[in-house]
Amino acid sequence: MIEFRSVVFGYQRAESPIISRATFTLRAGEFTLVCGPTGSGKSTLLKLMNGLAPHFTGGELSGKILIDGKDVTGYKPHELAELVGYVNQQPEGSFVADTVGEELAYGLEQLGFTPTDMEHRIAKNAALVGIEHLLDKPLASLSGGQQQRVAIAAAMAAGQRVLALDEPTSALDATSAAELVALLARLAKEQGITVLLAEHRLERVLEHIDSVIVVNGDSSVVKSAPRDAFKDYRLLPPVVELSQRLGLEPVALSIEEAKRAIATPVTFTRLPGRVFGEQTLLVEELVVRYGNHVAISDVSLNAQAGEVVALMGANGSGKSTMLWAIQGTGARSGGAISGPDNTLVPQRAADLLFLNTLAEELAESDKFNKVEQGQTAKLFLELSNRTDPKQHPRDLSAGQQLALVLAVQLVKGAPLILLDEPTRGLDYEAKRHLVAAIRLMQENGRTVLVASHDIEFVAQIANRVYVLEEGEITAQGRTEEILGPTGLMPTQVAQIANQPGLLLAEQVGKREN
Amino acid sequence: MKTSLYSKLVISFTAIASLAMFAWPLIIQTTSVDENRFAQTAFIVLMPLMLVLVLAEFASGELDSKQLAVLGVLIALNAVVRVLGAGTSGIETAFFIIIIGAYIFGSGFGFLLGTGSLFVSALLMGGVGPWLPFQMMAAGLLGLVAGLLPKSNKRWLELTVLVTFAIIGSFAYGALMTMWNWPFLAGVGTDISYSPGAGITPNLARFFKYESLTGGLLWDSGRAITTSVLILLTAPALLATLKRAAGRAGISR
Amino acid sequence: MSLNPFRASALHPATWWFLGLGLATVASLSGGWLPEVLVITVAIALMLTCRENAPWSKSVRFYLWLGAFVVGVRLLFRIIFNSGSTDSVVAFSLVELNLGGVHLLGQVSWLTLEAAATDGLRLAAIIISIGMANTLANPKRLLKSTPGALYEVATAMTVAINLAPQLIESLQRVRKARSLRGRSKGISSLNSIVIPALEDTIEQSLGLAASMDARGFGRRGSLTKMQIIATRTLSLGGILLIAFATYFLLATQSQMIAIAFMISGICSLTLTIRIASARNLRTRYRRQKPGIKDLFVIGLTVAVAALVVAF
Repeated sequence: MIEFRSVVFGYQRAESPIISRATFTLRAGEFTLVCGPTGSGKSTLLKLMNGLAPHFTGGELSGKILIDGKDVTGYKPHELAELVGYVNQQPEGSFVADTVGEELAYGLEQLGFTPTDMEHRIAKNAALVGIEHLLDKPLASLSGGQQQRVAIAAAMAAGQRVLALDEPTSALDATSAAELVALLARLAKEQGITVLLAEHRLERVLEHIDSVIVVNGDSSVVKSAPRDAFKDYRLLPPVVELSQRLGLEPVALSIEEAKRAIATPVTFTRLPGRVFGEQTLLVEELVVRYGNHVAISDVSLNAQAGEVVALMGANGSGKSTMLWAIQGTGARSGGAISGPDNTLVPQRAADLLFLNTLAEELAESDKFNKVEQGQTAKLFLELSNRTDPKQHPRDLSAGQQLALVLAVQLVKGAPLILLDEPTRGLDYEAKRHLVAAIRLMQENGRTVLVASHDIEFVAQIANRVYVLEEGEITAQGRTEEILGPTGLMPTQVAQIANQPGLLLAEQVGKREN
Repeated sequence: MKTSLYSKLVISFTAIASLAMFAWPLIIQTTSVDENRFAQTAFIVLMPLMLVLVLAEFASGELDSKQLAVLGVLIALNAVVRVLGAGTSGIETAFFIIIIGAYIFGSGFGFLLGTGSLFVSALLMGGVGPWLPFQMMAAGLLGLVAGLLPKSNKRWLELTVLVTFAIIGSFAYGALMTMWNWPFLAGVGTDISYSPGAGITPNLARFFKYESLTGGLLWDSGRAITTSVLILLTAPALLATLKRAAGRAGISR
Repeated sequence: MSLNPFRASALHPATWWFLGLGLATVASLSGGWLPEVLVITVAIALMLTCRENAPWSKSVRFYLWLGAFVVGVRLLFRIIFNSGSTDSVVAFSLVELNLGGVHLLGQVSWLTLEAAATDGLRLAAIIISIGMANTLANPKRLLKSTPGALYEVATAMTVAINLAPQLIESLQRVRKARSLRGRSKGISSLNSIVIPALEDTIEQSLGLAASMDARGFGRRGSLTKMQIIATRTLSLGGILLIAFATYFLLATQSQMIAIAFMISGICSLTLTIRIASARNLRTRYRRQKPGIKDLFVIGLTVAVAALVVAF
């Protein structure tokens, strides 16, 4: 169905290509995971299918891409619309209509289907993804999972045989993500649609896929069967990493598989205990009201110097509101907050960037904070790899943008650091950098309060966890308790091993075999 | 967007015809009040038609989805800035974005940006009326000309060109729109009304009286000053951002 | 969906515009103050009973103020810049001033006042009629029914209308976030808010464009050579015809010739748009077709307009 023949893609200004000499074939009805360390390679591979790369991204392409026997290189996306359906990360950002029915009809209208044919196809595709009861509903009233279903139905409404999906589950909770992946697997198996799914949370998809395409950091592209792909893959979902460390053969791909494979208790090193300094932050009975809506009710928390405290909870549970209230500019209706100077890195870090080059941003930060020239740049280099200072801040990767904003905020030297969903949009490598950065702040005796719903990330950095639900604290305790096997939000490894104190695969020593 | 000779012909005729439709009180020959009123009504019907034709002409060029996306953003920005700036009298915030946008993206885009900005902000804020097609045409022509301004690599030269044009453009736009509302508001028969069929020179003198006595000139000065100041304040950053967007959207003059 | 028959969405948006323009025509063609007052009353009544909770429906007050303003200005100009009319009954007298050749104030007659008020009311009626259409017709739905030749332009407008609230949201968010960082003197506060929000919106909008393109937006049919020649001749011809009409309106007293040019100009422009629309391959899903209610309203408008013109 799809054939890549020595495909090379890259930007002229960058020295190394993003994808080099990709050669592979996919058969009709194959469900393939596209994964890899950086965000850009995976997306680019998908965008090559329908001409979004290079047409919307710039860059140069060589080699051949055959879809259904047709060489699609050089075509614009709209010329390939009936061949490939494309779904991106945020469905709400790509909707063009107001209601579900109109959204499904959009592509059909553009491609000139007759109104009767349209009705028929819309009904059929809506039924396939289970949204037939929603056709008259406004798109804005749907849940994230439903919205992605609409996006999928819209992408295949014209009978496209190939579906390319760029991290469609990234904004979904675990349950809706699992349902969505199962739906894709069904579409591949029952409808014979070739599905390419880019995803970095591998744990969500492993059990369903037929094959894996890895886009490596050195831009090489390798296709293989799932179990072969992960034998020596570096960016692992915890379940695979654990089975690697335990030397399981074959590698376990799901929690259930791993549970069955591990019979005896695992030996592991406990996470190091820490001694903290004096209490720096104290929040007592904080209340935040917006009109009649109570966003935060009677929340108390504290943190000590050198401690990393996590606020967890679903979207809309009040995590951001808490941070902004503690920061000082957010709304506050009651309660007391005492704490040292603080600095907040907001959810969309790029909101703080307003100059034209990286160098200007760094210099402006030195100037504003009246610190020695080059101070912010030094911090930035500690948090990220070397980058061309003439680059536009918006052209940096999400990880580099976060590093830049962190540097700009950290240079202020405030003892309390507030991070709002810092892992949003980060790939594995950037996440690793962030973990290291937070550990460094901790060693320097700063207090870090981080709002996140990323369980594995919090397990790596936090000493204590507060769980928020609709503005109230429903659980609190040490990380081992909350994220451990009997806690409210167990990590994958905790679920598998079911041993108190074991949260992360890295705690298990690597077995040589 | 490239413009063919044919497009240039269409635009030139349109520009001439629409200028006549603005400045008709100055040049109309007939003294009959009824015929004058008829001409006025005819122009109100004809202007939107011409507008539609020119818009179709520009859009049938190479307006692809990326250019359309950037156009949409700038029109939205213009509408939003106008909404935020409304209520502060004498401040006209619609023009600096049109001028800078047209300067970066060229005349065809400039025309679409000018007409679109006025149309969308009128739809959103309430401002749709018989004057709207005339405002759209005037702003479109402003964008059209701004797209022809000479480019330069020197920052100060670029700014000088833009500010000079902003001042001239603000007064020209103001004069056109005052010309349009002149017969409406002053009617016929007062000392500051136009006098049907009296010829250009006496009517131009009357127009000046109307402009100065009704504060039109003051308003135009306000527009020229705010537009220039906004250009000086935002142009360096805005130019960089838009040039980058132009690169990504593959738009060039 | 509410079943209230008085809601604006019960009619096709084009019908509202037809009605609005019809009322405006009636207003501009009729002579006395009574028809103008009638038109204004009808338009206001419709605005108040049929409007819905939408952004474009919130400008009722603006149009009413503007209408009142126009009447006021007309009267004021007549009184202040009154060139000393001496006819008929004097309403009131003011001291006459002479300011650099301009006569100010002086005697004001009832007839002058009535004429000024009627003129003002006529304009107010036109403004309020069109305002009514603007208040009641959903612009997004109207943009959907534009002819194919204007599809791209209409899409750009729709995108802009959808982006505007998102942009406001971005601006507010960035403004809040900016305080976290601070900025040194010399960096305009306007830039530090507008630039991030603008970058954000451009990114969003390009993402939307990518999604539209990936689903077939931008696909165009090609015109035959004959069609291309026809559209070019017709549109250039149309512009020229309009230019001639303008000339005849301005330079001569031959209204009939001007009207003939106008009508042929309008015909050739309509034809251009029709032919050029063939490039558009798009079909339509559940297109809102004018229903019986629409036909009724349109018929009624035509009948009333005809009656007014006949008298």
